[in-house]
Amino acid sequence: MSKKVKVIPCSGMGKVHGLVAREAALKVVSELCPADAETVCLAYIVTGDDEAKEKIEGAPCLTLDGCPKMCAAKNVELAGGIVKKGYRVVDIFKGHRGVKPGNATALTEEGWLLVDELADKVKENVLELGKEG
Amino acid sequence: MSDEVKIGVVSCSGEDCLGGTISRLATRKMLDEIRPDETVTICLPLFLAGGAEERGFAEAYPTLAVDGCDKLCAKRATEKYSGKVSDAFDVSSLIGKEAAESKPLSTRYLTEEHQEMVNKVAKEIRIRFENILSDYYKNAAQRIKESGNASNCGCGCTCGK
Repeated sequence: MSKKVKVIPCSGMGKVHGLVAREAALKVVSELCPADAETVCLAYIVTGDDEAKEKIEGAPCLTLDGCPKMCAAKNVELAGGIVKKGYRVVDIFKGHRGVKPGNATALTEEGWLLVDELADKVKENVLELGKEG
Repeated sequence: MSDEVKIGVVSCSGEDCLGGTISRLATRKMLDEIRPDETVTICLPLFLAGGAEERGFAEAYPTLAVDGCDKLCAKRATEKYSGKVSDAFDVSSLIGKEAAESKPLSTRYLTEEHQEMVNKVAKEIRIRFENILSDYYKNAAQRIKESGNASNCGCGCTCGK
């Protein structure tokens, strides 16, 4: 199993929050910490396949959920991943009342700023987990 | 026949490859532009994280699964936790396996080529969606016809008189 920290978003389909989670996770694994973090398809984890479980069983995971249902965190835990921190996009929104982030299909400039803010927080956590080894 | 029939479109939205981004965007196109009043969706992980209502999705709606790669996670997870899907396809059959399994893409960097892939997949979803809808109406008409044959008394009951 790869030693990289797993960053797993919900990618929720119904609201902008899911897209913010997805884009923040992609930014972390593709741009900010490609050497220290990677993602695993949540849909694959949901299938319960042994191969999917092997990818995250016992691994440090950071989950990014759009809504309080916390689908990513719950599914990762069910598959044996260790959720070191479960981020909630709704919490990021609380600090930006009145913001117009876009929708579940496309983000506005304000939406991208929220993505960047969340991605920076996740990046810090990835680097800390990397130091812990 | 109800005018309110809705079709479920469930995409994998896979985070690990381009096919997941394309499946997600094409599904969103159905919801936003092509059939907004007749399309419903669900977040796939809700089948496990949610309750009975979420798990009843594929029973409540004829459902099309749209997968980003040949692992077919959307189809398999829907059938494992919710119910049999009416149809399913993998976007790699349309955009090619190599493209579908290439690196995941942020919507920030979508190119015209990616947009064409989304349009191609959305077109396929629309075709399959219409087939599902057509089958639904045919089956509903058949059920009405059969119940009419069983009930000759004219009152709508099934006494057979």
